[in-house]
Amino acid sequence: MSVHEYDAVVIGGGVSGIMASLHLSCKGYKTALISKGDPVCCLSTGCIDVFTGEGNPLEKISRLPKEHPYSLAGRETVIEALSFFRETVSRSGLPYVGDYERNRRIITPIGTVKNTCLVPLTMAGAEHAEGEYLHVVSFKGIKDFYPSYITSRIRSSAFSVFDAGVSTTLGIAAKFEEPAFLDTFISWLQGLEIPHDKIAIPAVLGTGNPVSIMEKISSAVGRTVFEIPTLPPSIPGLRLFRALKKALQEQGGHIYWGKGVTSVECQGEEIEAVTLATTGRSSRVQGKAFILATGSFVSGGLYATRETVRETVFNLPVSVPGERKDWFNADFFTAGHAIEKAGVEIDASFTPTATRLKNLFVCGSIIAGSEVMKNQCGHGLAVATGVAAAKMCEKRLS
Amino acid sequence: MKFEHCVRCTLCVENCPVFKVNPAFPGPKQSGPDAQRFRLDGERSVDEWVRLCSQCKRCEVACPYGVNVAEIILKAQLKYSSEHMSPFAAHLFANTHYLGKLGSLATPLTNAMTSSSFVKGALKIMGLATYLPMPEYRFMSLERGRRRKGRFRSPKKVVFFHGCYLNYNRPDIGRGIRDLLTYLGCRVVMPPQSCCGLPALGNGDLGMARKFARKNAKSLVEYIDKGYKMLYACTSCGLALVHDYPEVLDIPEGKKIAENTYNVHEFILDSIEDGSLTVDFSEVDKHVAYHIPCHLRALGIGYPAAGIFEKIPGLKFHILDEHCCGLSGSYGFKKKNQQTAQKLGEIAASAIKALEPDCLVSDCGACKMQLGHFTGLPALDPSEVIIESIMGSDSKKVSLKRRVL
Repeated sequence: MSVHEYDAVVIGGGVSGIMASLHLSCKGYKTALISKGDPVCCLSTGCIDVFTGEGNPLEKISRLPKEHPYSLAGRETVIEALSFFRETVSRSGLPYVGDYERNRRIITPIGTVKNTCLVPLTMAGAEHAEGEYLHVVSFKGIKDFYPSYITSRIRSSAFSVFDAGVSTTLGIAAKFEEPAFLDTFISWLQGLEIPHDKIAIPAVLGTGNPVSIMEKISSAVGRTVFEIPTLPPSIPGLRLFRALKKALQEQGGHIYWGKGVTSVECQGEEIEAVTLATTGRSSRVQGKAFILATGSFVSGGLYATRETVRETVFNLPVSVPGERKDWFNADFFTAGHAIEKAGVEIDASFTPTATRLKNLFVCGSIIAGSEVMKNQCGHGLAVATGVAAAKMCEKRLS
Repeated sequence: MKFEHCVRCTLCVENCPVFKVNPAFPGPKQSGPDAQRFRLDGERSVDEWVRLCSQCKRCEVACPYGVNVAEIILKAQLKYSSEHMSPFAAHLFANTHYLGKLGSLATPLTNAMTSSSFVKGALKIMGLATYLPMPEYRFMSLERGRRRKGRFRSPKKVVFFHGCYLNYNRPDIGRGIRDLLTYLGCRVVMPPQSCCGLPALGNGDLGMARKFARKNAKSLVEYIDKGYKMLYACTSCGLALVHDYPEVLDIPEGKKIAENTYNVHEFILDSIEDGSLTVDFSEVDKHVAYHIPCHLRALGIGYPAAGIFEKIPGLKFHILDEHCCGLSGSYGFKKKNQQTAQKLGEIAASAIKALEPDCLVSDCGACKMQLGHFTGLPALDPSEVIIESIMGSDSKKVSLKRRVL
């Protein structure tokens, strides 16, 4: 068995886990990040939703109950975390734009409008003004992106289809990174002589450097160009994950990828080490403090049985809203199923309340009462609580 | 098989290098768990495209639900190969071990031949890709040199599994690692060994793979029983030893081998961290791009060489773990995969070149060949950088110095 020693060990490689690791690495702590696979963030739109609906998301989160993780983090930490996020991704070459006090709108692949707070620069042009004409460019055979959905909802719009030779979003994204392909695409687009104000393209403008590709197209045709996020596999989600991971690696954080935690060793009221199921043989990862960022049900941080809900790494007590019959609304599509409240209860120190463990901190959607789907606050909550938990962890380590 | 755990989230697809550049490959989700639902025992395989998978295992690392995507595909590949005629190139590369033996014995003839345009033409006809120069063979292979070194009574006894590449193509790196380990005070033994079996597995020859594995198990377990730790430097050999021996090839000693086998840098780093080794690192004034081989990711041990790099003063390094080099052992040497391999090689190389490093570093022989070719940069093994720091740039002279332990 190999033994590795760290100041802080973060379990869960999603947005909150990486943000927590990054915060601690930046402060000079030796940090390990453990993830049993790629995070759900890779399937997301890549946008940072802070709170649902139009208007000021910060103002809305100030009205949340005091036990909501946003309230526990506090307004200042939320802003600090979002700024830290923006600095980080922009250093990794994936700049984000947006205003913390005003949600902006982006267009979805079915032509509806989604409210969100921070968006990658390639989606900055998505905000639709009254009377603006939109031209949607699609690709021959591309799955789950039907431009007529959009043109049927946005009246002043039209679309055209380009044959990229491949039909998958990843395949097209790889093509866009070939300069010859980009030139062909641009000359095709110029040939269309588009009379509309803006050009929307599904989010396939390369995985590495979408901004430069977007700017090239935009300056060649003299129109604002922006991306519309697609269904998974989602390139903007992948870019976000890679940008965060790159930042962590540049900062010297260690990553153990692809393997989960199989057992936990405790000494009195402290966790001493976790064991990883590395291929063929296990490894022991020791830490002075641990951060749990394994996410909710989809990411496997929580697991529901017929009767109850389990936390899968430390077997922490989980707060569950009533019995199974109370967990769900009768209608699947009404927001706010009670089960969304399930999770690990924490206090303002971001440590779990119902356990004696002193060196464990919790962040992300596994926190009880987050209601990420209802509040549409996934990445925002992940960023804010990731930094908040890391700050508490930092206090303990110093 | 855990294909029923798949929730079809497409995280594996996002990570598949072949899917990205070859539209003929339906991707890991479809060729793995999706197609598995239709694969029946006793029914002849019809999924020829399953052979387009390069077995980089990125899908398996990405899957958060523990689906063994690459293994499902590997088993489908083996099934397909057992029922259909394998192309000549597959037979050729399944026998990397004998190729190496022959190639090394007949140097410099082999090297002259593989670089001649006539032979290249013939190889093309036989279904081989020729965009990349064939690796050169060395007469003074590792197995011909000194196989035991270091103080017999040393508390740190290791048996080194060198694999074919270090043995026949780059014995200089192999000797470097052997000397580094003895310099650090270890007793190093290199018993007679065959190919790890991975090339045979990758080319659909289960029988051959098992033959190699049995041979190795027999000669290596003897040392493990005596308290030796087994070390590997080639990450693909390593993955075969710790994963495929017990899981795919059903070698009875597989579990014992898996539990006692370490990456050479993991071993050094562990020994430094548990205090059993004190190492003085001297300055290395280099800027390196560290390309992580896919199979090192798949081992799940983190990136141990990077852990050592951190301790080397003056060394500036960047970790690049998002791209597969595209060669995947013998995969890219086959004509039908040539385009895929070239495209992936160019993608990975451009990420390296963007950093403007002095050289690139990778644990894997195939990655080094491929990326050295596409970047035009010197391609080093991590051990070469570490040796430069610990033993000085003229390692031959310094290896005579007294050990540190």
